[in-house]
Amino acid sequence: MIDPLIHAALLMTTPILLAAIGGLVNRVGGIVNIGLESMMLTGALVAVIVSADTGSVMLALLAALVAGGIVGLLMSLVVTRLAANEIIVGLGFSVTVAGLVRFLLKSVYGVSGTFNPPGVVMLPRIDIPFVADIPILGTILSGQDPLTWFAWAMVPVTTFVLARTRLGLRLRAAGSAETTARALGLDPLAIRDASTVFAGAMSGLAGAHLSIGVVGLFNEGITGGRGFIALAAFYFGRNRPWRTALGALLFGFFEALQIRLQGRGVPAELVQMLPYLIVILVLTGLGLANRRRSGSSS
Amino acid sequence: MIRAGLTQLGAAALPFVLALAIGAIVLAATGHDPLSVYALMASEAFGGTRRIAATLTATTPLLLTGLATAVAFRSGVFNVGVEGCFYLGGLAAATLGFWLVGWPAIAIIPVALLAGALIGGAWMVAPAALKVRLGVDEVVTTLMLNFIAINLTSWLVNGPLLARGSANSATPAIEKAAELPRLLPPSTLHLGFIISLALVILYGFWDRFTVAGFRSRLIGLNARFCRAVGIDVPSLVFRMMILSGLIGGLAGAIHALGLVHRFVAGFSPGYGFTGIAVALLGRNSALGMILAALVFGALASSGATIQLFSDVPIEIVEVLQGTVMIFAVAKLGLLLRDRRRLA
Repeated sequence: MIDPLIHAALLMTTPILLAAIGGLVNRVGGIVNIGLESMMLTGALVAVIVSADTGSVMLALLAALVAGGIVGLLMSLVVTRLAANEIIVGLGFSVTVAGLVRFLLKSVYGVSGTFNPPGVVMLPRIDIPFVADIPILGTILSGQDPLTWFAWAMVPVTTFVLARTRLGLRLRAAGSAETTARALGLDPLAIRDASTVFAGAMSGLAGAHLSIGVVGLFNEGITGGRGFIALAAFYFGRNRPWRTALGALLFGFFEALQIRLQGRGVPAELVQMLPYLIVILVLTGLGLANRRRSGSSS
Repeated sequence: MIRAGLTQLGAAALPFVLALAIGAIVLAATGHDPLSVYALMASEAFGGTRRIAATLTATTPLLLTGLATAVAFRSGVFNVGVEGCFYLGGLAAATLGFWLVGWPAIAIIPVALLAGALIGGAWMVAPAALKVRLGVDEVVTTLMLNFIAINLTSWLVNGPLLARGSANSATPAIEKAAELPRLLPPSTLHLGFIISLALVILYGFWDRFTVAGFRSRLIGLNARFCRAVGIDVPSLVFRMMILSGLIGGLAGAIHALGLVHRFVAGFSPGYGFTGIAVALLGRNSALGMILAALVFGALASSGATIQLFSDVPIEIVEVLQGTVMIFAVAKLGLLLRDRRRLA
C-alpha cells in the first residue's frame, strides 16, 4: 500500500526537482525564471524525437539537455542584453514555445495533441539486488531511473558549489552584488546567461524524464504546469538546495496522492490547487517572520 | 512633434514587426509561404463587415484584461493575476445568469456583471494585502492564484455547478435575458465591446486629466518622491491592485454574458496573459491599448479561420502573440547602440 505511493511520489518529484535546481541556480545568479515550463516542454519533445530516431537514451537525454539550454540562452539574452523584464519574457516564452511545439507537431508530423512515434526507447530502471527486497527502503533506492539518481545527486552538489567554490561565489556576486562583481572584473551578465543556460539544460532533462522516463510519448500538455511548480519549489526553499528538494518532494507527493485519491472521489482539481496554495502560505509565513525580525531590531 | 509621434509609433510597432518576421521564418521553415499566409490573415481579420465584427468581438476581452493589467502596472505593481480574475468573474456572472430565473434584462445583467467584478476584486485582496503589509512579491502570489482560480472553477463546473445531463465541464446556459444584446446580428459582436471601449476611454481621461490618475502613475515612476510629498503609497497601491482585479473580473463576466453564454472549462485561452502584452505594447495609454488589443484581436479572429482555408495550423497565432510579448519589453534600441559602438 505505502510502497507504490512512495515510488510514484519519487517518480513525480524527479522532473520538478531537476527544474527547481536549475531555477534555484538561476535565481541565485539574479534571474527569476518563469520560463522553465517552456524549456521542459522543449526537452520533452526533443527527447521523444531523438529517442525514436536513434534508439539511444543517452543521445535523447543529451539532445534534451542541449535544446533546453538553447531556449534558456535565448531567454537570457533578451533579459540581460536587451534589459527586458524577466517575468514578462518568461511568460512570453511559455506562450511562444507552447504554440511553436503544437504548430510543429501539426505541420511536420501531422499530429495534434499526442505524438507517439514508433521505437521510443525509455529510460532504464536501476534495480539494486537484495536492497530491492527490503520494504520501503527498497522502493526508495531500487527501481529508479538514472535521472532520479542524478536529480538527487545534484542537491548536495549544488549546495557545495554554491557555498564552497569560486564558481558559486561568482554566481552569488552576479546575483546580489552586481557592482562588486563588476569591480572584481567579472561579467555579471555573462554569469547570469550561464546560469540560465544551466536552468534550461536541467529543465530540458526534466522534460525528458516526463516523456521518455514516465510515458514513452509526447503530449502537448505533458508538462502540466510543472515548470511553475518548480518555481514554487525554489521559492518554497528560499534558494537552499535541500529545502528546495523538500519542496519538490512535497509537490511530488501531492501529485502521487492526488492520482490515488482520484479513484476515491476526491476531486483532482482541489488537490492540484495545494502546491500553489502552499507557496502563498509559505511566502506569507516568511513575510510575517521578516516583519517580526525587523520590528524587534528597530 | 509629428516626428516624435512617428518615432513613438515606430517603437510601438517594432515588436510586432519582429514577431511577424519570426513567424515568417517558422512558416517558411515548415513549407508555408509567409506572405500569402499573412495576406490571408489580414483579409480574414478585416475583409468585410462580418470579419471586422468578428475581430472586434475577439478584441473585447483583451481591451479589459489589458486595462486591468495597466492600472496595476502604472502604479508599479506587477499583477500577473488577471487571468484568475477573468475565470472567477466569468463563473460568477454565468452562475447568476442561470440562477436568476425570470429576472428582467435590466436587472439581471447589471447584477451579474457587478458580481463578476466584485469577485475579481476580492480575489486580489490577499496578494494586495500581502504586498502592502508584508512586502510579499506580488508576481509569485498572483501567478499562483491563477492556477488556484483555474483549478477551483474547473472543480466547480465539474461538480456542484455542472449542467444536468452534460458530460463536458460546463454550467447550464444563462437565461436569455442575461445575454448581452448583439450589435450587428448575425455576427457575435455584443454590447460588451461598447462597454469595454468606453471603460478604456474613461481610463484615458482619468489617466491624463485627473489628479488621482496622475498621482497613481507617479507611484510607478517614483514611489520615494510620493512618500516624501505625503502620498499614502501603500493604500494607493492596495487600491490600484483591487481595481485591477475588479476590471479583470468584469472582463470575465462580459465574456460570459456576451459571447460564451455559460462558463466552460478552459474559459479563457490566456486572455489575462495576452492582456499583459496589450498593456505593454500600448504602454499603458488608452489609445495604445486600443490599437494593441485590436492587433491581438485580429490575430485571434484570423487564426480561427485560416485553419479552415489553408493547412496552416492555428498555433502560429500563439507564436506571434508570445513573441510580441517578448519583444514588447525588450529595449530594442540597445541592439542598435551596440552595433554602433562596435562599428
